[in-house]
Amino acid sequence: MARGGQTRMPLLEVRDLHLDYQAGDRVVHAVDGVSFTIARRGEALGIVGESGSGKSSLANALIRLLPKNAIRYDGAILLDGRDLMALSDEAFRREIRWRRMAMVFQGAMNVLNPVLKIGDQIAEPMLLDERLNKRQARAKVESLLERVGLGREFYGRYPHELSGGQKQRVVIATALALDPDLLILDEPTSALDVSVQAQIMNLLKDLKADPGISMIFITHDIGLASDLCDEIAVAYAGEFVETGPADRILVAPRHPYTALLLASLPRLHGDRPPSPMPGEPPDPTHLPEGCRFHPRCPWRFAPCLRHPPEIPVEGGGFARCWLNDPAVAGDRFGAPLLVAAATP
Amino acid sequence: MSSRTLPAPSAPVSPDGRERPLVALDDVSVAFQTRTGLFRMGEVRAVNGVSLAIARAETLGLVGESGSGKTTVGRVSLRLIEPASGRVFFDGIDITKTPEHDLGWLRKRAQIVFQDPFSSLNPYMRVIDLVEEPLVIDGVHGKAERWDRARRALEDVDLVPAGRWATRYPTAMSGGQRQRVGIARALVRDPDYIVADEPVSMIDASSRIEILQLLRGLQTGRGVAFLYITHDIASARHFADRIAVMYQGSLVEVGASGQVIDQPLHPYTRSLIAAVPEPDPANRFRRRAVGGVAQAAGEIVHPDCPHGPDRANEPALLLPFTSDPAHLVACHVEAPHGR
Ligand SMILES: Nc1ncnc2c1ncn2[C@@H]1O[C@H](COP(=O)(O)OP(=O)(O)O)[C@@H](O)[C@H]1O
Ligand SMILES: Nc1ncnc2c1ncn2[C@@H]1O[C@H](COP(=O)(O)OP(=O)(O)O)[C@@H](O)[C@H]1O
Ligand code: SF4
Ligand SMILES: [Mg+2]
Ligand SMILES: [Mg+2]
Repeated sequence: MARGGQTRMPLLEVRDLHLDYQAGDRVVHAVDGVSFTIARRGEALGIVGESGSGKSSLANALIRLLPKNAIRYDGAILLDGRDLMALSDEAFRREIRWRRMAMVFQGAMNVLNPVLKIGDQIAEPMLLDERLNKRQARAKVESLLERVGLGREFYGRYPHELSGGQKQRVVIATALALDPDLLILDEPTSALDVSVQAQIMNLLKDLKADPGISMIFITHDIGLASDLCDEIAVAYAGEFVETGPADRILVAPRHPYTALLLASLPRLHGDRPPSPMPGEPPDPTHLPEGCRFHPRCPWRFAPCLRHPPEIPVEGGGFARCWLNDPAVAGDRFGAPLLVAAATP
Repeated sequence: MSSRTLPAPSAPVSPDGRERPLVALDDVSVAFQTRTGLFRMGEVRAVNGVSLAIARAETLGLVGESGSGKTTVGRVSLRLIEPASGRVFFDGIDITKTPEHDLGWLRKRAQIVFQDPFSSLNPYMRVIDLVEEPLVIDGVHGKAERWDRARRALEDVDLVPAGRWATRYPTAMSGGQRQRVGIARALVRDPDYIVADEPVSMIDASSRIEILQLLRGLQTGRGVAFLYITHDIASARHFADRIAVMYQGSLVEVGASGQVIDQPLHPYTRSLIAAVPEPDPANRFRRRAVGGVAQAAGEIVHPDCPHGPDRANEPALLLPFTSDPAHLVACHVEAPHGR
């Protein structure tokens, strides 16, 4: 662990995080040994993966909001070097959640309280926090409303008077109420159309630059993640299968799943049709042996029946794929992962 | 207020003028009554002077942000709603005012696939019941015939072996699989025309392509014509033959998909294109200039427009600006041909 200088200390460091659920008589390893760091203020990490890969579970594990059937929750979560796992639930609630790490929940814009003025909804965490009185809270809410591009006149409005994009701005303002250092956004634009999505992304880019909020941005769309994020982590069946700088991942993915995610996006220019993702996501209670992606992987070869570790790759980050281990991959090592063009 | 309109042909023709289109809207407007206060009623013009034609076995992509009127165009083309003005044709037959009880034939030949496979499917019905339901409604009584047609529909959407999928429940299926059931339900009546209204926007980005390819296959294989409604103009490039761009109830640009995206003429089309977060290192971190309902119509003007923004609220004509006669763009003043 880096001691000493603030500059060296990562904002967030997560090591070997696990979250298991009891599902009937079986166990779901929703977060299965995930490690990553967010090095500095204003850095955004994009977590990308299909439904069921464990993205929301990871977010909930970070902010310690666990369902009743969680049966394993361990690993290290260090915020500014301080181990959050050592905190009691009460201390976590008082000192960390919303104050240091805030979250925009998946679908939150659809569950705004319909009978509460939006200004009062945003003020709620401030008043619970008891550091501001009512008048100070109101002034703060007004400045937040302006910060998220709504304007203070929205204070007295009700959710039904707002468009989808405006509701999502309210949710973001609520998350910002206690000036967190880290904002976790779980699919914040999935219910919005491309135009409104672009407006929300503009807002997130602004907040990232000033006041320099760090972000964990969760999405199933790797293109969208790359629009905001410096680093990308690709989640599959509870694990990160690839991480690295977005600039590297977009041009040189080193895990087949990442390459296939990129190839599945329709491109604006050129006539190469997008390629469908092969196969179906695995059954979370019966994960495949070895590489969890192997039943769907066009590149699989004999070694894939063993579970690959995180293998560092050129350009930064790692890929959990045997193709990146020269001793295992042989002459397959280092070949670009080219996805066959789909037959239209 | 005068409507925005194509110089309306008296008998609608398909874009190449060769063949009678399967579906045609001629200067169609749709208005909804809405409550604006406790006692006051107002009117929303959801669609304003839209003319379009869809050929047999063609996919027309209808793109635009939410609220622009795409769903309403789809519904009026199926005559699920009546236009306030203009005419609607199906296979050359004027169905503008045909009463519902005389539209039985259209209800078989034209279908809709909804945006949300999760809420549009009854969770307590098995796949087979869902797919056979339209046939039951149509009075197909023979069990064997119903199963035969349902099986073919399930096979056409790749839910094979059909016998095994038939007894499953949609709740135990992925988003993509559920949408396949929705498409099979539409296919079981053997339609010529399907309105696919945001068929993949609720599905993971990586699972969309298989559904869109499936629709494309039905178009080329079975000869079904599609109105593919989407807010994602990038997907329309690959899965629609032509793209029509809709903004605030009117079409602002129509043309071949590649043309519209590679050489967009209307500023609003450009803003839709700029909003796409392409996974390209050169495209990252950009602030995106996005047109939106909040944006005044006056700002939706091409910077080179010789007439400036002051006439932007006047009615527009959809006219060719380039040498391509099938690439049309809304102009508020005139069409400088051959520019
Ligand atoms: N409370 C729970 N109990 C049991 N299984 C759960 C629970 N929540 C999520 N899961 C399962 O855990 C896995 C990961 O889910 P989730 O974190 O929601 O993924 P994502 O957000 O990527 O869609 C999925 O297989 C999901 O079905
Ligand atoms: N049944 C209805 N009653 C009142 N207004 C409606 C109705 N359906 C649609 N509208 C309004 O018509 C406009 C266009 O809606 P719609 O066709 O659903 O757009 P899109 O599909 O592009 O999102 C919107 O302003 C919408 O609020
Ligand atoms: S380890 Fe093997 S199966 Fe897994 S992604 Fe790599 S090549 Fe494919
Ligand atoms: Mg989730
Ligand atoms: Mg719609």
